[in-house]
Amino acid sequence: MKPIILQGHERAITQIKYNREGDLLFSSSKDNKPNVWFSLNGERLGTFNGHQGAVWCIDVDWTSTRFMSGAGDNSCKIWDCETGKELCTISSASSVRTCLFSYSANMAVYTTDKAMKQPCEMFIIDTRIVDDSSSGQQPIFRIPISGPRISSILWDSLDEGIITGHENGELIAWDLKSGKQINRVKDHDGLVNDMQWNKNRTMFVTASKDHTAKLFDAKDLLLLKTYKTERPVNSASISPIMDHVVVGGGQDAMDVTTTSARVGKFDSRFFHMVFEEEFGRVKGHFGPINSVAFHPDGKSYSSGGEDGFVRVHTFDSSYFEYNFDY
Amino acid sequence: MAKKKADEKSNSNDDDSKNENDYSSNDEEPNFSDSDDYVDDISDEELLGDILKTKPKETDGVESVIVVDGVPQVGPNRIEKLKSVINKIFAKIGTIVSEYYPVNQDGHTKGFIFIEYQTPAHAAEAVKLNNFKLDKQHTFQVNLFTDFNKYDKIPDKWEPPEPQPYEGQNDLHYYLLDSDAFDQFAVVSGLGQFVQIWQHSQPDPTVVEDRHSWTQSYIKWSPLGTFLATFHKLGIALWAGPKFAQYRKFAHANVQFIDFSPCEKYLVTYSPQGDPDHQKIMIWDIRTGLEKRTFQPEGPTAWPIFRWSQDDKYFARIGSNNDALQVYETPSFGLLDKKSIKISGIKDFNWSPTDNVIAYWVAEDKDVPASVTLLELPNRNEVRKKNLFNVADCKIHWQKSGDFLCVKVDRYSKVRKEKNETKYSGMYCNFEIFHMREKQIPVDSVECKEPIQAFAWEPIGSKFAMIHGESPNINVSFYEVRVGQAPIILKKFDKKACNHLFWAPSGQFIVLAGLGSNGGGSLEFVDTHEFLIMNTTDHFQMSDVEWDPSGRYVMTGVSFWKTKVDTGYWIWSFQGKILKRINMEKFAQFLWRPRPSTLLTDEKQKEIKKNLKKYYPQFESKDRMRQSKASKELIEKRAALMEKFAVYRDSRIQEYMDSKARRLQLRNNVDTDELDADSDNVEEEIVEFFVKEEITVVD
Repeated sequence: MKPIILQGHERAITQIKYNREGDLLFSSSKDNKPNVWFSLNGERLGTFNGHQGAVWCIDVDWTSTRFMSGAGDNSCKIWDCETGKELCTISSASSVRTCLFSYSANMAVYTTDKAMKQPCEMFIIDTRIVDDSSSGQQPIFRIPISGPRISSILWDSLDEGIITGHENGELIAWDLKSGKQINRVKDHDGLVNDMQWNKNRTMFVTASKDHTAKLFDAKDLLLLKTYKTERPVNSASISPIMDHVVVGGGQDAMDVTTTSARVGKFDSRFFHMVFEEEFGRVKGHFGPINSVAFHPDGKSYSSGGEDGFVRVHTFDSSYFEYNFDY
Repeated sequence: MAKKKADEKSNSNDDDSKNENDYSSNDEEPNFSDSDDYVDDISDEELLGDILKTKPKETDGVESVIVVDGVPQVGPNRIEKLKSVINKIFAKIGTIVSEYYPVNQDGHTKGFIFIEYQTPAHAAEAVKLNNFKLDKQHTFQVNLFTDFNKYDKIPDKWEPPEPQPYEGQNDLHYYLLDSDAFDQFAVVSGLGQFVQIWQHSQPDPTVVEDRHSWTQSYIKWSPLGTFLATFHKLGIALWAGPKFAQYRKFAHANVQFIDFSPCEKYLVTYSPQGDPDHQKIMIWDIRTGLEKRTFQPEGPTAWPIFRWSQDDKYFARIGSNNDALQVYETPSFGLLDKKSIKISGIKDFNWSPTDNVIAYWVAEDKDVPASVTLLELPNRNEVRKKNLFNVADCKIHWQKSGDFLCVKVDRYSKVRKEKNETKYSGMYCNFEIFHMREKQIPVDSVECKEPIQAFAWEPIGSKFAMIHGESPNINVSFYEVRVGQAPIILKKFDKKACNHLFWAPSGQFIVLAGLGSNGGGSLEFVDTHEFLIMNTTDHFQMSDVEWDPSGRYVMTGVSFWKTKVDTGYWIWSFQGKILKRINMEKFAQFLWRPRPSTLLTDEKQKEIKKNLKKYYPQFESKDRMRQSKASKELIEKRAALMEKFAVYRDSRIQEYMDSKARRLQLRNNVDTDELDADSDNVEEEIVEFFVKEEITVVD
């Protein structure tokens, strides 16, 4: 089907996320204003106004009542989802690169960049009650990261552990009881830009600048599958209903001006999760894809690109009819 | 001394009295002189072998002497002149110690002379001048003086020579015996770090040989595909046979260019760099590995400098100052009839691919018009000459079957001289078509007002294609040449994005390609029988197109020599269907292994063509079997992967189910495992929006 193109951002999309039910689609961009849309028809529900810098990361809790965003203005904000009102602002020493609610949404995590002589740090905060006082609240954990900075993050389904993806391709599993590292693997050769769970949080897919997306086991960070492309991969998502992985990326944004869209390869690519075989491509963006996400019902997916557009694609029936022989 | 010894002895005796008896016999000074009846069994050789080696021998001087026969016989008045000529030739090799010119009673030389060098090595070197042609009547026979001795001593009774142990030569043409006639290809990646030979089997190619650092730059197949040449700092190596064993090595430091003679008898190597002594062209005999002749580069240096006739009998180059054509003959490697062919102003030449005919062209010179001449060799017959006017440049294109010759003539309407530079304007182009197989070789002319981008003959057949026009109005035209007629235009395709033409080796099919950064990588597969465009596609930034020798497949490649990203090679069917995409980092070169021309007679080929229908089912069933085998393998592989994955996934899902209670606890006892699991908390909202239905007819 013809995709719905969401035109509301003035600059590159940085992240897109569905809420748990999939009726809402949140998007963040370098233009400072995260948006929320009805995923069904692409109508814009509203914007979250208040950030002074590029918004790098967003998350929505499981009840779709609170929305969190982290930005280049050295702050992390929590908003009321329904009204778009800012509930609290947490200031940090450098830009906020990743942010995430825990499974229960009783806690949240955000990480800051290594910049302006500030180290990369991971903060875990209590989000049971969020109001103006939350700004000054002490975090539950404050973990300085001495090595390469965190570039992506995941929270497990039991509020017990966190997995971080790093600039050098490393993945680290953290135990939140002790605040210690419990596992560490390095299967990527480049920055891990994005990590996304499968439906029941037993596996996750990583997207890396090393031109690959990889599937890992959540428990012991065991590498299960590799999806190879010829371009940096910025985002990857696992279908909740099929054994499919969608991978988005393309030539680095900084190199794009010197090359044509054809060289850039700004396509969403579909791989079979188990066979690692590519079986389809969706064209459309004219800049690299920065974020992809499957709708929780698996019947559509969206991609957000450096070109500032979010494209919502609903699958045709042929997508569901197509089967690999085995 | 003796006393001291005795002292020592007594000391030791004190130390150890047990030794007393042993020492008793050594009590006196030993006697070193031989007894009277002693015979020395050590030879002088053993004692002073190294000194004896340098002992002067009777034969010493003799080994440095050569005998030269075939020297002109001259009277006493010209003997000095002869000596200086001989000296000039032989003193090049080494210092001549003495020379002797035997004379008969009336003072005439006898036609043979003796020359002594300083060392036997020089003499051995001088023997290589054997068969040196001084002039028409005199060819030197150079021999070592010791050889005379050796041959003199040949026993009268003949003894059968010992049979040499048989050294099995590998079958160099084994690859042609493949029952499925799969072709081979070579792939080079990196800076020659990886060289792979593949067999293009169906449905997937199989690797035949995979070697690291096989070459240091690139590789080249010999024209019939027998040998693979690899480039090294010290020279060229040829590889052949089933395991690609080394066949020969040709030492030529810093060699950069090579050329095989068409029948694979000779190899030309050229090293254009380094000091002048090493800048040379060498010609080698491939079978023996011997150097045949060395040349200094002169005249135009467009490679190949030497061009071979189709039968390896002659090779030619343009002399310095473009004033002569130098034709050499094999196996003597001397100039044909000992003199070059004087053609002042010769610009370029080319051998016919099927006959010993050279086509060359001469530029305009004041009042003399430019001309194209066909020269028959070795008799130097001018079989055809055509004068041309207002010529800026010519390109000689022989058709592969030698039936036609096309000379593309760039002509001008105006010429200006500017600072030693000639500037032409009002350019247009003429194609002069020579009908080689007709009486007196009639010439037809086709004119084209537009700039020509490319020209190509159909290798077998009578068509030619050209790309003409200026971007963006690039057109492709096809002409046919018929007996006794001027070429007629068959088809013109307007507005095509291509700049190169690639005919299938057996004609009829052609690929129009846009190579390089401005070509865009467009590809068009055309059947010229009915001028049907079979497929229009592209391979972005493609730099190479190569037909396989059978004309069934086309390779398009992006070489990292040209572009840095997305390098690799794709293989298409002749109809333009993509078969394989192989993206490879640092892919550099792809070469199909050439095949010699078929041994089947024309009748036999016709018969096969006629009965093709009979063979179709055989091949098709074979292909199907291979295909089904491959897909079976793939399906088995997938099934195995899926099974393994399912086992893993099930174990994880079990763990997931086990922790459900804890998840419920975390989310206020709301079941969120499935989207519709928690039906109590869902508010239903009906959204209506206009859906436009569009029907688009896809053609």
